[in-house]
Amino acid sequence: MAGLKVLDFTHVFAGPFCTRTLADLGADIVHVESKSRDPGDVHRASYVHRNKRSISLDLKNDAGNAVAKQLAIKADVIVENFSSSVMRRLKLDYGAISPENPGLIFISLSGYGHTGPRSAWTSMNMNLQAYTGLMLTTGAEGDPPTSVSNSWNDYIGGLHGVIAVLQALSDRAATGRGRNIDLSQFECSVATIGALLMSSAATGRPPQRMGNRSTNAAPQGVYPCTGKDEWCAVSVQTDEQWHGLANAIGKPALAGDPRLASAVGRMRHHDELDAAIAAWTSERTKEDAERLLQAAGVPAERMRRVQEVVNQPDSGKVYLPLPGDRPQPVLASSVPFRFSRSPLAPMTRACRLGEHTAEVLHDWLGFDDDKIGALDAQKAFV
Amino acid sequence: MARVLDLTRQAAVYATRLLAEQGHDVIRIESPEGDDLRRLGPFLGDVPDIEDGAYHQFFNAGKRSLALDVTCTAGREAFERLAATADVIVASAPLPLDEAQLRAIRPDVVLVVVDGDQRPELCAYARAGLLSITGHPGKMPVLMGGHIIYAATGSWVMVATAAAMLVQQMTGEGQTVTVDIQECFETFLDHAVENFTARGRHTERRGHRGAVTPISGAFPSVDGFWMLSLSDSVERWRSMLEWMQDPVLANDESLLKYDERLKHADLILDRIGAWAKAYPKQELVAEAQRRRIPSAPVSTSLDLADDAQLTDRGFLVEIDHPEHGRMLFPRGALATLWDRNVTLAPRLGESNQELLGELGYTAEEHVLLFERSVS
Repeated sequence: MAGLKVLDFTHVFAGPFCTRTLADLGADIVHVESKSRDPGDVHRASYVHRNKRSISLDLKNDAGNAVAKQLAIKADVIVENFSSSVMRRLKLDYGAISPENPGLIFISLSGYGHTGPRSAWTSMNMNLQAYTGLMLTTGAEGDPPTSVSNSWNDYIGGLHGVIAVLQALSDRAATGRGRNIDLSQFECSVATIGALLMSSAATGRPPQRMGNRSTNAAPQGVYPCTGKDEWCAVSVQTDEQWHGLANAIGKPALAGDPRLASAVGRMRHHDELDAAIAAWTSERTKEDAERLLQAAGVPAERMRRVQEVVNQPDSGKVYLPLPGDRPQPVLASSVPFRFSRSPLAPMTRACRLGEHTAEVLHDWLGFDDDKIGALDAQKAFV
Repeated sequence: MARVLDLTRQAAVYATRLLAEQGHDVIRIESPEGDDLRRLGPFLGDVPDIEDGAYHQFFNAGKRSLALDVTCTAGREAFERLAATADVIVASAPLPLDEAQLRAIRPDVVLVVVDGDQRPELCAYARAGLLSITGHPGKMPVLMGGHIIYAATGSWVMVATAAAMLVQQMTGEGQTVTVDIQECFETFLDHAVENFTARGRHTERRGHRGAVTPISGAFPSVDGFWMLSLSDSVERWRSMLEWMQDPVLANDESLLKYDERLKHADLILDRIGAWAKAYPKQELVAEAQRRRIPSAPVSTSLDLADDAQLTDRGFLVEIDHPEHGRMLFPRGALATLWDRNVTLAPRLGESNQELLGELGYTAEEHVLLFERSVS
């Protein structure tokens, strides 16, 4: 993907995640920002801004807007996630650019898509966690809606955005034509739960909320350990693992109990087994519980907190230190895959607002210093 | 369109579904007893059946099925012939043939090897740190429901596959891609990792209030929960006050500052929750949206079955199923973008005759393979 020009009009977070992943694959990402809309350092996050070049442009200024249009005409891909009418108002929508750039791939990542009865709805991650069914699928029956404390839908939407761009690039290589892509984050997230949508529609019932239980492995659960909010996950898949578990928790009688010999029996008596396992784990640290259970051949993992994932030698390898001058490096995720031939881009620090303005105008448009100076005088770069 | 051989387990199977949505010829190779995905409930007809599993029906839609025991010599032989026709192989480790053997058969193939998916889902989720941020504060953490995490890991597998396929298309060269599922899990922490490593902030479970957006929550209404998110915008805050007519919040001018609202987030969320209980959720959501305040119903997947947006954009379509009659079918996010119809998930071994014939097996040899439980 080296040499692929991507013009990035995105802000938190599906769009930036999409363009950052394209950057990891080698694309040249130019992030269009405005000094007048600088949200300050709190949003200057490396997971949004790393591996990108930043150009500062005032899109409402005639000179700034004209530069944006010239960049758009040179771009292979434009990614944006404004609400639906913004790019049209700025005359930077697909219809405005594609006559002069027929190979352009233009992708919008909005909450609900630009058509349909919800197209005007505003959307944030938590609203999509709610609407897509995630919150009422997670947790046990009777629990209130249950979320995951991350930007779940932005990850899902961003990844689908990358996939759609790669497919459009493949089509363009075959036909020479670009494409206008109207991606709906809502649809991406609903697709991740598509199986349950099918079964609910067929049976007329909402899906069962399983908590931490499995439909086929028993016992399975998350058990309390010593300390505040410390837990160990256990999932018994086979009879052999069950014997290992019963012996490890000092209950060999359970291993020989005919009621519990099969997964069916263990499922039937799950509450009783939960109590026995919890009685044992609650007298141990999560590290000890994990170690003793694993030694007995039982699938068990302690609950790692974020800091434990990145501070342990046996996890967090996908996190790499960002280049920079901080004494404790900021860690950022790389991609969870490797190619045998195609190199991935090395990680660079977060771009600073507008730091590559002149460089990009030179690289993409061949502007010289005089021309850039004249645009600056017209306040194009505010 | 590329020919894709699909030997994935659950953590990667969404990748090959997405390839099918893009119109590629995806051949799912499964054991003659059917793969595990077919046995995973719930089931469309409520009765366990290898053709009716909801996960099989959704994730294997658009594919062909070849039932083949690739662990025996005769099955491996057939697989070798098929591999010679493949542009792409996506396989959960271990592979039926090693990489060098596959390269000898098909030098320019894109080979995607999916590894690191041996742990049970709950254990992998705990190990990756995601368990610590899923659930309610002070309560037992929980696994994300519906195996949703595997659609996310499958999306990563698809990114890697699609990138290698593009290189193959442009240069004629194949390559091997390795994807680590445990690392895929971990990527979904990156905001939390940055908050910790750059700012020393810890990310905690928030349940249904204040997750990610501090002033947000799922509140009860007359007929179920609805979700509201209030950003740092003072205009939205004023609009919310005008709507609620809550004297306590309206009279506290300090709350016009976002920092103050953050400090008093619990109070604000309590007042919104108490106020909203008297209204139906669709009314609350519609009025919030009219005021440009992000809001949505808290839905189950049953509620989505007649969702106007999903139907209007062609994500949800009606199809005729040979067993279940007229039913709703989610085409998928990419199929909707390309407006492409996706065929129903195949019956086990549905394409055996066609594919074995294409590979040069006679009818008698097909019978032999069947009688020996190879196909």
